Amino acid sequence: MTVSYPIKGDHLHKRFKNQIVLDDVSLTLQEGEIYGLIGPSGAGKTTLVRILLGLEKADSGKVELFEQRPTLNAFRSLGYMAQSDALYNELSAYQNLEFFASIQGMRGKEKKQRIYEVAKAVDLEKDLKKNVSNFSGGMKRRLSLAAALVHRPRLYLLDEPTVGLDPMIRRKLWTLFHYLKGKGATIIVTTHVMDEVAQCDRVGLLSEGKIIAEGAPKTLTEQYGVPSVEDIFITIEKEGAKK
Amino acid sequence: MRNLFAMARRIIRQIVRDKRTLALLIIAPLLILTLVWYIFGAKTSEPNLAIIHYESSDYLSAFKTSDYTRMSPLQARQSLADKKIDAYVDLKNPIKVHLEGSDPSRNGLAMSKIQKSMQTIQQLNVTSMKKQLTDVINAQQKGIQAQQQTMKQMSEAMQRYAPSALTSIMQNAPKTEQPNQANAPDKVKLDVSYLHGNDSLNTFDSFGPAMVGIFVFLFIFMIGGVSFLRERTTGTLDRLMASPIKSYQIIWGYMFGFGLFVIVQSFVLTCYIVYVLNIYNIGHLLDVLIIVFILSFSALSLSILLSTFASNELQMFQFIPLVIVPQVFLSGLFPIDTLPSWVRAIGNLMPIHYSTEALRNIMIRGTGFSGWWLDGLILLLFSVVFIVINVLVIRRSRPIAD
Repeated sequence: MTVSYPIKGDHLHKRFKNQIVLDDVSLTLQEGEIYGLIGPSGAGKTTLVRILLGLEKADSGKVELFEQRPTLNAFRSLGYMAQSDALYNELSAYQNLEFFASIQGMRGKEKKQRIYEVAKAVDLEKDLKKNVSNFSGGMKRRLSLAAALVHRPRLYLLDEPTVGLDPMIRRKLWTLFHYLKGKGATIIVTTHVMDEVAQCDRVGLLSEGKIIAEGAPKTLTEQYGVPSVEDIFITIEKEGAKK
Repeated sequence: MRNLFAMARRIIRQIVRDKRTLALLIIAPLLILTLVWYIFGAKTSEPNLAIIHYESSDYLSAFKTSDYTRMSPLQARQSLADKKIDAYVDLKNPIKVHLEGSDPSRNGLAMSKIQKSMQTIQQLNVTSMKKQLTDVINAQQKGIQAQQQTMKQMSEAMQRYAPSALTSIMQNAPKTEQPNQANAPDKVKLDVSYLHGNDSLNTFDSFGPAMVGIFVFLFIFMIGGVSFLRERTTGTLDRLMASPIKSYQIIWGYMFGFGLFVIVQSFVLTCYIVYVLNIYNIGHLLDVLIIVFILSFSALSLSILLSTFASNELQMFQFIPLVIVPQVFLSGLFPIDTLPSWVRAIGNLMPIHYSTEALRNIMIRGTGFSGWWLDGLILLLFSVVFIVINVLVIRRSRPIAD
């Protein structure tokens, strides 16, 4: 069985002015896994996602999408959800999804069907005609996710997809992530919430621009002998202080 | 192409659903132009004038009661201070004018009126001088006639007593030349002809072309700039960048989407000033439309470019005093021939400068294609340069080749 790498970052460096944001980060995703990127704010999670996506240039190092240098075409298989909702407030929910689907090359009946499908998946099928400006924060978040799903990508980059959502919807979204994974999709997700960490197949701990630990959540907690992934940050910090 | 149309369609939908923006784009320029029309198209009011010390003056007839209020010196000074009159004339020799002075345009009006009256005074002087001269001539002629009478009698006496002496005197006498009837000088008349326009051309007619350019530019600049800025700040641009859309498709999508409203706006605006406000226009409506249209594209592409350097709406509006206001002053609204060369050089970098020139050629001078093609081409070049830079800017922020 050949193992393919949907996304791979190799020795990535990035600095803004004097501040080092990414310091030699390498990361490889396996097909069909949910990879959680965790770390305190300011650790460089968003920058890492943006570099992997090709929205920002790394100072050095290289990125591969589906085992080749990123091309525009590769974006067809890629779903991106940013921290901001990135929606057009003047338009209705349907028009938003319709636009993003068109940009991804979807046409006609297939597009229409798919829009209703994703709207149902995020529980917005009754609100499609509403203006996005009338949406609540949670509804916008879900619509934003729907826009990332609409073209059936194979790889998802989700930057804090569940921030500001109530636990019910959060749980529902994670069910959706597992469903997508079941269909063969690969997901990289950044998060603050620790109970979401347990649902990832693998996690990478990002601190001050470095991946300080990587592996399945359970293996990691056993390895460091701590009750939760959160404690690993503290343990490593302590070790660093000892040195 | 399909992506491009999807972009354009989305922008059109956004503007149509946003009634406020739509109104700002189409109705606001009409309102402002109407206001400008009233201000610059209005007839200037007559200056309020007065005279003092008129009782003993010979020139009183030059200052009609309808134009000049008769006042006592104290009254006049008080009225001038209260701004009830713009000026008063002191008819005591030498004649003095006292102006209110705070408003140059009122000063000018008052002075031109007073100068007209002064011309009448000069005419009065000339007439009285003529009368004096005629009196002198008449008196002299009477003297000559009396002399001639004496001479006649003398020659009659000589004829009687010394006819031979008379003949020799007659022969040696210088021949008198009969003076020709003096030609009365023709009255000097001023005949004015206009190469362009006519005497009914008012300030609005000459300001109009510049105004159209300024308002079209301003409104497209604001709406286009903010619209693209929002794309950046809300993160939708990132989403576009993470999609297979090509950089040029993003920019051209904007051009196409806004293009529709630009066409509508140019059409409504041009028809309004030509047919409703009746601005002086002897050119083709289509020529006017083409120039307004090209100008809008340069405004749109420039606003997209500048939105790159703004991180929020306020910063976008901070460009208005930098980009729009100098264009207003250097657009040709005011003469710039006497300005230092570096200021004129800046003027040559401004799109509205060219649109004003082109529109004046079309509407007032009536020159056809030959009169505006160069200005139109320069405006088009502005747009092309801005669009190319825009595409390059977007492409540069995308590490992936497209």
